Amino acid sequence: MKYLPLIRLLVNRELTLRYKRSVIGIGWTLLNPVLTSAVLWYVFSFVFASRLPNGQQFGPYLMAGILLNTFFGQGLMQSADSIASNGGVLTKIYVPPQVFAISSALAGLTNFFIGLLPLAVVCYISGQPLAWTLPLVLVIGVLLAFLVAGLGLTLSILFIRFDDSRNIVSILLLILMYLTPIFYPVSIMNSTMQNIIHWNPITSYLDIFRWAFSNNATPTLFSWVYIFTWSILALLLGTYIFKKYWPRTVAML
Amino acid sequence: MAVIEVKNVNVTYRVLMKKSGSLKELFRDSIKGKARVVDYVALKDISFTVDESEVVAILGRNGAGKSTLLKVLAGVLPPTKGVRKVTGSIAPMIELGAGFHQEMTGAENVLFYSALMGRNLKSVKARTPAIGEWAGVSDHMGFPLRTFSSGMVARLAFSTATDEQAEVLLVDEVLSVGDADFQTKSKARMEELIKSGAAVVLVSHDMTAVRTLADRAIWLENGHVKMIGKASDVVDAYEAN
Repeated sequence: MKYLPLIRLLVNRELTLRYKRSVIGIGWTLLNPVLTSAVLWYVFSFVFASRLPNGQQFGPYLMAGILLNTFFGQGLMQSADSIASNGGVLTKIYVPPQVFAISSALAGLTNFFIGLLPLAVVCYISGQPLAWTLPLVLVIGVLLAFLVAGLGLTLSILFIRFDDSRNIVSILLLILMYLTPIFYPVSIMNSTMQNIIHWNPITSYLDIFRWAFSNNATPTLFSWVYIFTWSILALLLGTYIFKKYWPRTVAML
Repeated sequence: MAVIEVKNVNVTYRVLMKKSGSLKELFRDSIKGKARVVDYVALKDISFTVDESEVVAILGRNGAGKSTLLKVLAGVLPPTKGVRKVTGSIAPMIELGAGFHQEMTGAENVLFYSALMGRNLKSVKARTPAIGEWAGVSDHMGFPLRTFSSGMVARLAFSTATDEQAEVLLVDEVLSVGDADFQTKSKARMEELIKSGAAVVLVSHDMTAVRTLADRAIWLENGHVKMIGKASDVVDAYEAN
């Protein structure tokens, strides 16, 4: 892999540049999920905390949801944008464009892993012990990075070709976010909605993540099969679609 | 031995008429049956080779296809038809400083730019002070690029791009960078690189430079080769036109 050093530099750049001009710099990566969770916890804990099944704590439940959803939503948009925004480079120097989308997915993954630290603290505070299945979080993170990179590659073609596709995708992502049990327990929904939420792939990733990290959900075998299928299919299809349409798309950069 | 081989290369851009740049417009236009696809031919049946230590210039008016041809040679734009074969490492000096980032320091940018060109970063790291010194920005290498003047950025980019010898050099109008002093310096280094055995493809409007530097020239007009031959002959014909 001739471009491994470049991927390292790109991931590094994406992690450090966002907060370059701020005083605490990369500390924001730690603080961001904490603050978001704190606000949502304040707003929703009165309504939803008591509705969770016995033994599950709302604090870790909420923060796990926010971490994973940020990884997916932000990572996907950044990955899909990365190729268009590096068009200036890609039309002058030969670099496999996939490098940019993969780096964005990896930057999202790193952010996600950094966010596990404050999550562990929140678990400790709320009396929800970490589970022995903790190492599985690595697998879930990597699988989600596959999904992000695969979908990102597909969307990047769309983003270059059609200006408004970016807006449409961000609206779809917003809808998807509300169809993911991030801050509410699934049990408060009626059966139709529960069914829809069940088929939302992000729900499965999230269930497994909550379970693996601190035994804060009950995923089924279906969830495992489902996320492996989505991740692998997305990556394969994404690289295939990208390869197929890139030669005609690069001319539009 | 031919280092660059281009055979019957065609590049066609597919353009949607009425330029439906959004899904909304495309949807509306296809319903009305107005979305028409038009093929715009940027390069037609281009064939040539460039040997080791040979300098070939590409001439032509704006829009003749010079930049498109350089992109094909750089491997950035795949030809729609035909074959492009380049053996060895390419130094694309098409737009210096592509990939430079305002918020990164001079040294970080040197490293990043070199990584984009697929260079060995270990040796680049060791060379970074020398690269900065040659560009005359040694004191600034630790500061973000946004604190550089535009001349300093251009000099640093040139210094980085020309720091390593490549087997193939693609040059697009970068013979003059910076102030008068630096221009003499950069011209000398460019000539040194060109004469050091690389296969060079050069796009320039500077006909005196083409006459002195190039062995052969290709005259492009509307995407096809109008004339190909000895540099002085082609320049004569081009200037008479």
